Amino acid sequence: MRRLFFPPLLAVIALFLIFSCAEKQDFNQFDDLEVTPTVASSIFYLESEEQHINAVGNFTDFYSQIVNFEAFNEEFVAERLLEGTITYEIENTTSKDLNITIEFLDAEGNVLDAQVFDVDQAPAPLFSLEVFYGPGGKNIEILTTTSGLRISASNLGDSASVSSLPDPKLILRSAAEFTFRLQ
Amino acid sequence: MRIPRSILWAILFMGMFLQAQNKQLLYDFYEIPQSLLVNPGVKTFQKWHIGVPVLSGLSFQVGTSGVTVNDLFADDGIDFTTKVRERLIDGMSRKDDFSTTSQIDGINIGFRGKNRPDDYYSFGMYGETDIIVYWPKDLAILAFEGNGGNNIGRSFDLSDLSLRGEMVNVTHFGVNRKVSNTLTVGARAKIYSSIFQFQTIQNSGSFRTTQGQDNIYSTSITADMQLQTSGVEGIIDILEEDTGTTQRDLTKLFMKRVLFGGNLGLGFDAGFTYQLNPQTTITGSMLDLGFIYNSKDIKNYTVRGSANNEGITVFLPEDIPDLNNNLWEDLVDELEEALPYEENDEGYISFRPLKVYGSIRYNFGEGGVFDENCGCGVNAQGGQNDAFYRNSLGGQLFFMKRPRGVQAAVTGFFQKRLGRGFSFKTTYTADKYSLTNIGLGLNLQLGPINFYMLGDNLLGYRNIADSHYASLQFGFNIISWNDN
Repeated sequence: MRRLFFPPLLAVIALFLIFSCAEKQDFNQFDDLEVTPTVASSIFYLESEEQHINAVGNFTDFYSQIVNFEAFNEEFVAERLLEGTITYEIENTTSKDLNITIEFLDAEGNVLDAQVFDVDQAPAPLFSLEVFYGPGGKNIEILTTTSGLRISASNLGDSASVSSLPDPKLILRSAAEFTFRLQ
Repeated sequence: MRIPRSILWAILFMGMFLQAQNKQLLYDFYEIPQSLLVNPGVKTFQKWHIGVPVLSGLSFQVGTSGVTVNDLFADDGIDFTTKVRERLIDGMSRKDDFSTTSQIDGINIGFRGKNRPDDYYSFGMYGETDIIVYWPKDLAILAFEGNGGNNIGRSFDLSDLSLRGEMVNVTHFGVNRKVSNTLTVGARAKIYSSIFQFQTIQNSGSFRTTQGQDNIYSTSITADMQLQTSGVEGIIDILEEDTGTTQRDLTKLFMKRVLFGGNLGLGFDAGFTYQLNPQTTITGSMLDLGFIYNSKDIKNYTVRGSANNEGITVFLPEDIPDLNNNLWEDLVDELEEALPYEENDEGYISFRPLKVYGSIRYNFGEGGVFDENCGCGVNAQGGQNDAFYRNSLGGQLFFMKRPRGVQAAVTGFFQKRLGRGFSFKTTYTADKYSLTNIGLGLNLQLGPINFYMLGDNLLGYRNIADSHYASLQFGFNIISWNDN
């Protein structure tokens, strides 16, 4: 039976093998693949009415908070983080000068880096700052070792005046846009 | 979800090569007994046939509607990341797919009824694997480019994630009846025993990052996604065991499920052949109208809900009572609550991929090659017999239900019979995978021994790595005609 079945089978397979061709392939190229997506997300938003700032008083923090922030030092993220930018926007329509400080803290509470913003009273233009982390910018390890943010805002002016602008307030916006290496 | 990378790669890699279920060469190639499996109402000429176990019908179909192996891995000096970006990420659409079908005919036996010679009964068992993975274009772009940069404002469609796959053992019994000299009908009942099955069901949703209302960016996600699996967990558990008995355990599990120990289902095929005039014949068939009820070894994964995120937000003085150190964790918890990932073991019904064939055949070139020597069963009646003619020319249509609609193919064919023992069929097929698919089928009869070989997309063999489609089917049978 084997003599009956296998010769024609082998003949046809041989035929296919003889007449089929394939260009040279290099499957090791997969190691050269670079997958580096850019991920964008808001980080922190602070909004304070002038009425609240006045109520707390001047030359004192009307807001101070340590926030646990593990977004960048998660192992998966930290190992793959290449570079990126944190964008800050500050809008002050109150009648007083303000100070905002954002400190990056490690797991022991040590300050790794700080961003200090002195904000002029209204009318002040929208303040915008982009801070680059990575080659040519701040050390990316600041982010990968950050496990908390200490955010504080204080009133450098008086505690009685009220801005003539409608709905006076302080707004702090922040967002990150970072590039990761997935492959 | 514990799906080892090796399995995912294997599925995707198989998908790069394997393709749809259209068996245009076998369809209505009635000299081959296995043509009963694609049209139970095909004309039958033999008295009985026995397929050589496991070797009576082996089919492997390979291809991809999008990028080929050569497109990515040719040693052409082009940067691989550039090739992936241009040919895969940008070049493929969500309609492109990688799919795989293979079939192994374990047992295939047929015989003509002793008391009812107009009836031809056939039964057997075959295993079939069918996997289709649509190219998840938006998710691939999200992974490759991210949601930042130029993708701010872009909505990523989560419904792009669509896949379906199964391995099933089919036990079948069919009846083929010559109703009159012009009409032959047939039907086949099937019992499915599933080895594994998985499918996404109408995934929907979107992921989008835009300019925020309060903060700089607003990220929103809406998802209604589900992956149903049956039989997969048991296989993964064995593969993950470090006991040294992996192969034995897998074989044992496989055999148990093949022999009705898996999830079971029922199916039905039907078909006909009708002779419009002595030289013109039309045929049609419908295959795998059936379902499997998946109740064993179930694991389903769901993500349902919607969430919007602008980062940690603090409004003063309203939020003073809620201020604490865990604002970030609270935010993550809120998102997870709004968009929960869950697992369950609820049973589900999966439908088999329904297939429909149709054809018209014009016979010409009188030869009388079969009817004098072989008897050709009840269909040997001179001009009423297709095999009376040496040549056939015709067209075929194929439709198949796929997760994203009906997949169609159109085929033109020419068939030639050279004496009693040899015939060949050549086809040209156009479908979403290829517009240059030329196939050739050979059927050789040496006494009672029948051997056939069907090869598709022969032009692709010039550079098999660059082929969108390739298939090969062959088998051995022992056939008895009426007079032997």
